[in-house]
Amino acid sequence: MESFFFRYRNLIVLLVLLVAQILGLAMQVRRTAEGSNTYDPTDSKSVQLIRLWANAIVSPPERAVQNSKSGAGWIWQNYFDLRNVRQQNEDLRAQVDQLRLEQAEMLEDVRQGQRLQGLNKFEEKYLYKTLTAQVIGGSGSDLSRVFYLDKGKDEGIARDMAVITPEGIVGKVREVYPHSAQVLAINDQSSGAGVILEQTRVRGILRGNAEGQPAIVNILADSRIKPGEKVLSGGGDQIFPRGLPVGVVDRVEKDPDRDGFIQVVVKPAANLNGLDEVLVITDSEPRFNDKQLKDLAQSESEKKADAAALNEQKKASEILEEKLPGLTDPNAPKPAQDGAQTGTGGASGTAPAAPPAPKLLAPQHADRFTPGYTGSTAGQTGSQTGDGANSAPRPTAPKTAQPGTQPTIQTGTNPAPKPAQPGTKPGTTTKPAQRPTTTPAQQAPTQPKTDRLDDTGSKPDTPKQPSNPN
Amino acid sequence: MSVLTANSRRDLEIHRYPAPLYLLVPVAALVLQALLSRYLSRFPYFDIPLVITVYFALGRRSPIQGMFLGVFVGIFEDALTHHAIGINGIAKTVAGFLAASMGVRIDVQNVFIRVLLNFVLTLLCSAIYLGIYRGLLGIELDWSWFTLLFQALGNSAIALLLFPLLDRFQIRD
Repeated sequence: MESFFFRYRNLIVLLVLLVAQILGLAMQVRRTAEGSNTYDPTDSKSVQLIRLWANAIVSPPERAVQNSKSGAGWIWQNYFDLRNVRQQNEDLRAQVDQLRLEQAEMLEDVRQGQRLQGLNKFEEKYLYKTLTAQVIGGSGSDLSRVFYLDKGKDEGIARDMAVITPEGIVGKVREVYPHSAQVLAINDQSSGAGVILEQTRVRGILRGNAEGQPAIVNILADSRIKPGEKVLSGGGDQIFPRGLPVGVVDRVEKDPDRDGFIQVVVKPAANLNGLDEVLVITDSEPRFNDKQLKDLAQSESEKKADAAALNEQKKASEILEEKLPGLTDPNAPKPAQDGAQTGTGGASGTAPAAPPAPKLLAPQHADRFTPGYTGSTAGQTGSQTGDGANSAPRPTAPKTAQPGTQPTIQTGTNPAPKPAQPGTKPGTTTKPAQRPTTTPAQQAPTQPKTDRLDDTGSKPDTPKQPSNPN
Repeated sequence: MSVLTANSRRDLEIHRYPAPLYLLVPVAALVLQALLSRYLSRFPYFDIPLVITVYFALGRRSPIQGMFLGVFVGIFEDALTHHAIGINGIAKTVAGFLAASMGVRIDVQNVFIRVLLNFVLTLLCSAIYLGIYRGLLGIELDWSWFTLLFQALGNSAIALLLFPLLDRFQIRD
């Protein structure tokens, strides 16, 4: 028995190791409701521990390389510099080389500064709170398109936070460690981001394909989708805010597995293969600066002012509606006050109270269809009555005197003649300037418009000459 | 044929290295892989940890040591990805076992054998990787034949450069 184990110890160890790992795998996979297997993205504690250890080993050297200017290039450059210093004892050629390299290094620094400046500008303008982080490493496998950031839980990064650049979305935070974080890029096969095509408004899910290109999958064939169309984040995945640029349509391919479906390969807006600095959206609550707050307040006040203006306009139109002559019934019974005035005006000896007459606008050219039209004779008769007390010549005599209407009696000592009140007949508002229908004869300055009664209560036959009270 | 088979005492000797090297070199390979993948993400045609596994398995000629190195390196690689832990571990365990088993029978100093072995084992690892994903786990995963082929070629090229460099650290009697 012992010789069996000794003889086949290699195979036994191989089997034990394989079985142990397969069992470990089985514990990390769960069966979905549809009956298919899927990798459980929420790692168990033991798996998390393994990942944490691996990250703890890899991150420090990665961070060190990243911090030492330009990583491997910097080490390479210094290696040669040191060799030159030792071998040629500060030879001029080495100095020139060094200067050139320094220049290149400075250029690199300038570029990095510009990139950071751009990021800062974007961060200031951007509505959501973001955190700038540097990419320090990758997964080392083309089948797992993840990369690591130099900031983690202690800096405020949490799982499922969106990672973007000013150019477009990059991925989401998948795992968080104390001082680093793992980001799943949008071109990984297991990633998923809700996107929308800008022109055609077709929605879909973005995931990576075998070549590492993001593609919108499981959408029905649509001839409107053309290369060059912009793709934006849809916001439905609760990770990426709506409207962020994702890329442009590169090409449209038929789905090999499903008839009638296509997959839209997208050229990402962000350079996923050359990421240096990224932004992590740490808070999706919009933040507004003072100017934006001021704009918002102004917008609100303008909105209120618009509403008030609308109300005013409505009111004015209602008033105008009331004033329209066509809406007043000419056959409507006259107000009772009217009759009282005709019979008892003289007896009362007081100016009648102004009736609540509708204020209708006088028509420009009155005719027989005009409400309250009484004919030219009546008008002339009425207009020619008056006494000399009316000193103000009226160039136009409004046809206000109606046949059956007695002018108001102006008793007392009021020297100023009053024109016939329009209230005596609804619809006959008198505005002399607006009544140019009278003939020149009617416009004689000696004919005051004021219809006045004499002491007997009857109209005088002859008009009196106006006299100036002054 | 005598060139390819191990027929001399020198060919059959077990290569020994300074103890820290067994830990430092694999860890350095893993860190370098993670670092380079960032700068060479357009050309992910290399798997330095696999090359290191093959090198030590061939040199030590011990399948058990090769397997344990494969487990360590593979699980470490898995831990850096977002995939399940154990997929790379299984692939590299098999690679370590096969490399060590073959190291007993063939001349491990031969450059052609080293390159060929790396090429074949890289393809085998990729096949195991995809096989586990699709067959064992039942999870759909696309792959590209060109990528696999280029990766095998890339690993062969790295082995061509790296093996002579690591040979310098051998402890010779």
